[in-house]
Amino acid sequence: MEAQQDWNALSDDAFREIFREWVDANCPSGLRFMRKQRPVFDEVAEWYHLLAEKGWLSPVWPQEYGGMGLDAGKHIVYVEEWARLGCPRIPDHGIGLTGPLLIQYGTPEQKAFFLPKILSGEHVWCQGYSEPNAGSDLASLRTSAVADGDGFIVNGQKIWTTLAHCANWILLLTRTSSDGPKRQNGITVMLVDMTTPGVTVRPIPNLRQETDFCEVFFDNVHVPSANVVGEVDQGWALAKAVLGHERIFLGAPSRPEYAIRRLERLARDRGAFDDAGFVARYAKLRLDLYDLGSAFERFARVLRAGGTLGPDVSVLKIFCSELYQRITEEMLTVAGEDARYWDDLPTGEGDVDAMNLYLDSRAPAIFGGSNEIQRGVLAKGVLGLPG
Amino acid sequence: MSGLMLDDPDGTLEMLRDSVAGFAERFDGPEGFRARRDAGQDLDRTVWSAMAEAGWLGLHLPEEIGGAGLGVAEQAVLSEALGRALISEPLAQLSVFAGVLLAQGDGAERDRLADGLIAGTAIVSPAWQGRDGAPAPLVARVHGEDTVLTGALCHVSAPVSATDFVVLAEAGGDWMLLSVPAGAGGLSVDAAPTLDGAQLGQLTFRDVKVPGNAVLARGNSARAALEAAVATTRLALAAEMAGIAAEAIDRTVAYTRDRVQFGKAIASFQVVQHRLVDMWSDAEFAQAAVVNAVETLADGPGKAADLAILAAKARAGDAAVTITRRAIHLHGAMGFTDACDIGLFMKRAVALNATLGQPEELRLLFVAREGVAA
Ligand SMILES: Cc1cc2nc3c(=O)[nH]c(=O)nc-3n(C[C@H](O)[C@H](O)[C@H](O)COP(=O)(O)OP(=O)(O)OC[C@H]3O[C@@H](n4cnc5c(N)ncnc54)[C@H](O)[C@@H]3O)c2cc1C
Repeated sequence: MEAQQDWNALSDDAFREIFREWVDANCPSGLRFMRKQRPVFDEVAEWYHLLAEKGWLSPVWPQEYGGMGLDAGKHIVYVEEWARLGCPRIPDHGIGLTGPLLIQYGTPEQKAFFLPKILSGEHVWCQGYSEPNAGSDLASLRTSAVADGDGFIVNGQKIWTTLAHCANWILLLTRTSSDGPKRQNGITVMLVDMTTPGVTVRPIPNLRQETDFCEVFFDNVHVPSANVVGEVDQGWALAKAVLGHERIFLGAPSRPEYAIRRLERLARDRGAFDDAGFVARYAKLRLDLYDLGSAFERFARVLRAGGTLGPDVSVLKIFCSELYQRITEEMLTVAGEDARYWDDLPTGEGDVDAMNLYLDSRAPAIFGGSNEIQRGVLAKGVLGLPG
Repeated sequence: MSGLMLDDPDGTLEMLRDSVAGFAERFDGPEGFRARRDAGQDLDRTVWSAMAEAGWLGLHLPEEIGGAGLGVAEQAVLSEALGRALISEPLAQLSVFAGVLLAQGDGAERDRLADGLIAGTAIVSPAWQGRDGAPAPLVARVHGEDTVLTGALCHVSAPVSATDFVVLAEAGGDWMLLSVPAGAGGLSVDAAPTLDGAQLGQLTFRDVKVPGNAVLARGNSARAALEAAVATTRLALAAEMAGIAAEAIDRTVAYTRDRVQFGKAIASFQVVQHRLVDMWSDAEFAQAAVVNAVETLADGPGKAADLAILAAKARAGDAAVTITRRAIHLHGAMGFTDACDIGLFMKRAVALNATLGQPEELRLLFVAREGVAA
């Protein structure tokens, strides 16, 4: 891995230039603007390892752990350029979730063992939070972990675990006690090796008939005490804290941006720009996207000034996910009779994955805290409404 | 209140509803959808034969050619019930559309096709559209007794299972409808999977020769047949989508009453209740629009019927698509799975909504037909 300079000492523009130039020269062209939102590790391994060698795989981890040590402002530049150049999403639960959690709350041994294996790609992580009966109400989770000698015996089930079928470690929320008055107490964060006997993964075909998420079953799975992160029973606060400034990226315009480019391609091919009705609707979508950029910038500025994000940042996630849906709905209108087909639609400028995007756009309004939950956060946390 | 509220003096409509309900117990709609899709088929011949046995395929065909001679109300009730049960074989195209074309034609070949259609032994698929959905007649050249066809037609239902196609062609500015057997020399078929678990085809005609008796209708009567088929099929599609809309709201009410988060049914959250009410009212408007179209058309074809049908297909299409979309959202991650039926309702709704004109196009046709601007 190459030694890193102090990136935060550069201006945003200077950093942008350096970052873009290298990424554009090195990100394999076959992986750019991929149709698949969630490629599996093997599909993007080449790019993963290139980034790791360059030392640019983990933008926010401190440099002592092999990250770039970017502050929030530079991280935004990183994410923006990544999207602009059409780089593929890499399996990033290790980089974005487990890594930051361990850096903040892990023991020295945990950091020394796990962090390098994330960077090398040896450990591929997934996020085991949701359960069949604990979705929006995550605190009601029931997967149990019972102390047993120098460890815990875990029983229960997780569901909707993205990319679990190609992960080998899972960041697991378990219930270690249910006596307390608050259900949020008694939850523990555990690092679980998915090759341990008793772990079973079953992929769930999704609306797009692909398998991005899975069920994960735990049948008397032994987890060593050394794999508990933070204190037993105190995991809820850890799980919540780790998101921090990254919540801004739930509202990053990359999905609607990709979708609107595809809409434009389809519209040019079908002559829709000659149709005043379409142009008026397109213009609305285009400016919604443009203004999402302005709203994003409003929060980015807070971060650049060293501030922290409040609950109000949820507004980005709601607007962004709903805009993504509206753009894909317009695609089907432009497709006309062709909206009956499953496959991508051919155009003079290449295929347009209208149906793929339409179906995919159902998901971001549900995951990461559904839009109803986010509106609840805004109602209480920003407007201070009662109830 | 639910379902199409139509006068039913002799109980025929109720019988039809019961007949679909019984059928759906033997042939589960969602399971059939997945099975056909996973097998890469364009039609489930077992289900299709059973539909013929049930007497549905010739429901609206005149008695002179062996049909049941029933009206638009019966067809709408049947289509609505099929929508509710998600029985997704292409009845609208292969029975309603093809049937109207045949009813307007004449000759021995017409009789042969009608017999086969009604019995389910012939799969008669209409082929008349270009890529954009508009009529795109083949070029027909007349050689003595024969007609030679060239060109391509899109969005053809059951392209692989079809035994016969009824195709639109043009010679010297004159339209004609012709019967072309599926195996005709020079005819090739490209099938592509659809969103609703079937296949649609593109037919390419390279000097396909058919005999003189293949002509089912020509000139103005061919034009009129096609127009009538489009209108009647739009109404059947509207009814089917009204059924999908009503079923999707019922299922979502049931799911959200059952699903507990934060210690209570999610249907007890006011925001969820308001969503459900909005969905329900969209479904009610769709039903009302379909009933209006049925009754207006029953009074006879003409401008009033044209307007009512355009309105019904637009309204029911918007309702079915938006209701199913919101239904998925209210099912949470469960709604984003292939195993959950609600996604299949959504896919079927999108596919039917895109068939024979999307809502915006239909609304523009409505306004143009009304002629206020002129
Ligand atoms: C594509 C995808 C990937 C995912 N990946 C992961 C993953 O990797 N790891 C993981 O742990 N989880 C993952 N999830 C799960 C995700 O976090 C949950 O789907 C989400 O928390 C919602 O829970 P639920 O699906 O059980 O829906 P429910 O909580 O049952 O909600 C159903 C509906 O009710 C509404 N609702 C619920 N509560 C309220 C309320 N109080 N007020 C108003 N409306 C309410 C919701 O908005 C929703 O519309 C993923 C989900 C999806 C769709």
